[in-house]
Amino acid sequence: MNRESVDRLLAVAGRELATVVRTRAFLALAGGFAVVVAALAWTAGAVGYVPLVLDLLTPVEVLVPALALAFGYRTVLGDAERGELDVIRTYPVSRATYVLGAYLGRAAALLVAVIVPLSAVALLVPLFGGVGTTVVASHAASDSPVLYLRFVVLTAAFALVVMAAAMAVSTNARSSRAGVAVAVTLGVALVVGFDAGIVAGLVGGVVPEGALELALGLSPNSAFRGLVLESVVGGVAGAPSTSPVPSVLGLLAWLAGALAVATVTVWSGERR
Amino acid sequence: MTDGPTQEYDEPDEPTRTDDEANESTGAGDEPAESNERAPVVEVEGLSHAFGDVDVFSDLSFSLEAGSVTALVGPNGSGKTTLLRAVLGLLEPDEGRVTLTGVGPTDRRVGYLPQRPQFRPTFTVAETLQFYADLLDREVDVPGIVDRVGLSGASDRRVDALSGGMTRLLGIGQAVLGDPPLVVLDEPTGDLDPRMTEYIFELVGELADDGMAVLLATHNLAGAEAADSVLLLDHGDVVAEGSPADFVARTDAEDFRGAFLALTGGDAAEAGVDADRATPTVSVRTRGGDGE
Repeated sequence: MNRESVDRLLAVAGRELATVVRTRAFLALAGGFAVVVAALAWTAGAVGYVPLVLDLLTPVEVLVPALALAFGYRTVLGDAERGELDVIRTYPVSRATYVLGAYLGRAAALLVAVIVPLSAVALLVPLFGGVGTTVVASHAASDSPVLYLRFVVLTAAFALVVMAAAMAVSTNARSSRAGVAVAVTLGVALVVGFDAGIVAGLVGGVVPEGALELALGLSPNSAFRGLVLESVVGGVAGAPSTSPVPSVLGLLAWLAGALAVATVTVWSGERR
Repeated sequence: MTDGPTQEYDEPDEPTRTDDEANESTGAGDEPAESNERAPVVEVEGLSHAFGDVDVFSDLSFSLEAGSVTALVGPNGSGKTTLLRAVLGLLEPDEGRVTLTGVGPTDRRVGYLPQRPQFRPTFTVAETLQFYADLLDREVDVPGIVDRVGLSGASDRRVDALSGGMTRLLGIGQAVLGDPPLVVLDEPTGDLDPRMTEYIFELVGELADDGMAVLLATHNLAGAEAADSVLLLDHGDVVAEGSPADFVARTDAEDFRGAFLALTGGDAAEAGVDADRATPTVSVRTRGGDGE
C-alpha cells in the first residue's frame, strides 16, 4: 500500500469517526453501554478484579456484539443508499482501501465506547472494593489489575471481530430493513446460536468430543469466553489449562474472513 | 491526441475503472492529460445491456468530445440512467465497451452527479468537499470549488441544512473535483425552480468551457437545446443524435421542442417531458454564448 493509498484510507477512516462522534444515536448507545457496565459493577460490589470480570463477562458477551453491530451495520449501506458509494467509485479508491478505512474509523469509535467504561469501572475495585483488593498482587494466583487488563484487551479484540462482521453485513444488505434483519440475526447467532449449535452437535454426535475445542473456537463468543476464562480466571483458580490456539485462530479467521467478504462484495449489487 | 492510457470498462472481473490495482496494471505514467479541445474523450462501442429478458439498450455507439455538452434525453424508462451507469463503469454491460482516452492512471477519470445527490448530513459543505478532495492524489483548492459552484456563502453550513438546489450544487462541486475529463450529470435540474435550473445550466456550460466533456441526462428541453449535441434515447435505441439544429432540420419542426416531440411520437407526457419545462421559459446560456 503506497502513501497515497494510506492517505485515502485515513480520509475514509476520519470521515467514519467524525460521523459516529456527531451522531446522537451512537453517543446514546455508547452512553447506555457505559451506564449498564457501571451499574453492574456497582451492584456486584466490585470486590476484586477477577470477580468483576466474572460479573461483567456474560453481559459483555451480549452487549458488545449489539454495540458493534449497531455501530457498523449501516456503514457502507448508508453510503449506498445516499448514492455516495457510486460517487466514491469515481475516485481512485480501491475497494480494500474504502472497506478498511471505513472499518478502522468505526472500530476506533467502538473501541473508545467499550474500553473507556470497562477501564473506568476497574477503579471501583481499589476505591470501594473489599479488603482483599487493597493489595495489588503480582502472583498469578492472586487478584490483580493485570488480570482485568487482559479482560479489557480481549474484549477490545472481540469487539473488533464483531465490527468486521458488521462490515460484511453492511456491504451485503440490499436495504435498511434487510440490514437490520441480518444484523439482528447475526447478533442472536453470536450470543446463543453458535453455542447452541455446538451443543446440539455434541449431543447428536456430529461434533466429536475431541473436536470440542476447535468447534468452540469457531464461535466468536465461545472463543472470547474461553480466552477470558483461560487467561483471567484460569490463572487464579489454577485450573488445568486448555490451548488458546483454536480460540485465537477462530477469532482471527472471523476477522479476516468478514473483512474479505466485505471487500469482495462492496462494489457489487444494487441497493435501495 | 490520446497520449495517456486507454481505459476500457469491460474488464470481466473488475468493471470499475477506479480501482488502484487496475490503475497499476496499466503501467502508464503519471503525466497529466493533454488539453483535448474537441478531441474524443469517450468512445462507446456496441453497448448492450438487459435486465433479465428486458433489453434496456442494445448496440449503442457514440463518442463524447472534450469541451462539449452532450444531452441525453428520452422518455422515463428509456434507459438513460442505466446507460450513464455503464459509461461511468458502475454497471458492467452485457456487450460492448466504453473507452476513455487521455487519462493518467492516478487521475480521476470521471466525475459523477447522481440523480438525487445526498451526503453525510452532519458534515458541512466544506468538510464534504474536503473529504472527496482527500481521495485524490493532487492538492485541490476546496474553497475555490465552493466558490465556483456558488456556495461560498454556505461553506460552513451543514448538509442537512441545505436546500435541494444547494445540495445539487454541492454535488456538482464534488463531480468536478480533480478536473476529470468527463463529467456525468444525471438530471442535474430535476425538481429545481427555474432560477436554479438556469444557474445549473450556466455551470454546465462553464465546465465545458474549461475543457471537460459533459454528458447530462435531462428532461429539460431548454437545457438540452443549449447543448452541443443531443442523444435521443427511446426504447433502448438512439433514435436520433446530432446538434439541436440537426434535430430541427431533420423533422422540419419549427423548433427543438417540436422536433423532439415529432421524434418521440408527439406526446409530451409520453416523451417524459414536463410540459412547462418543454417550453424554454428560462434563459439558458448556449455553448457559443448567451441565448434562449
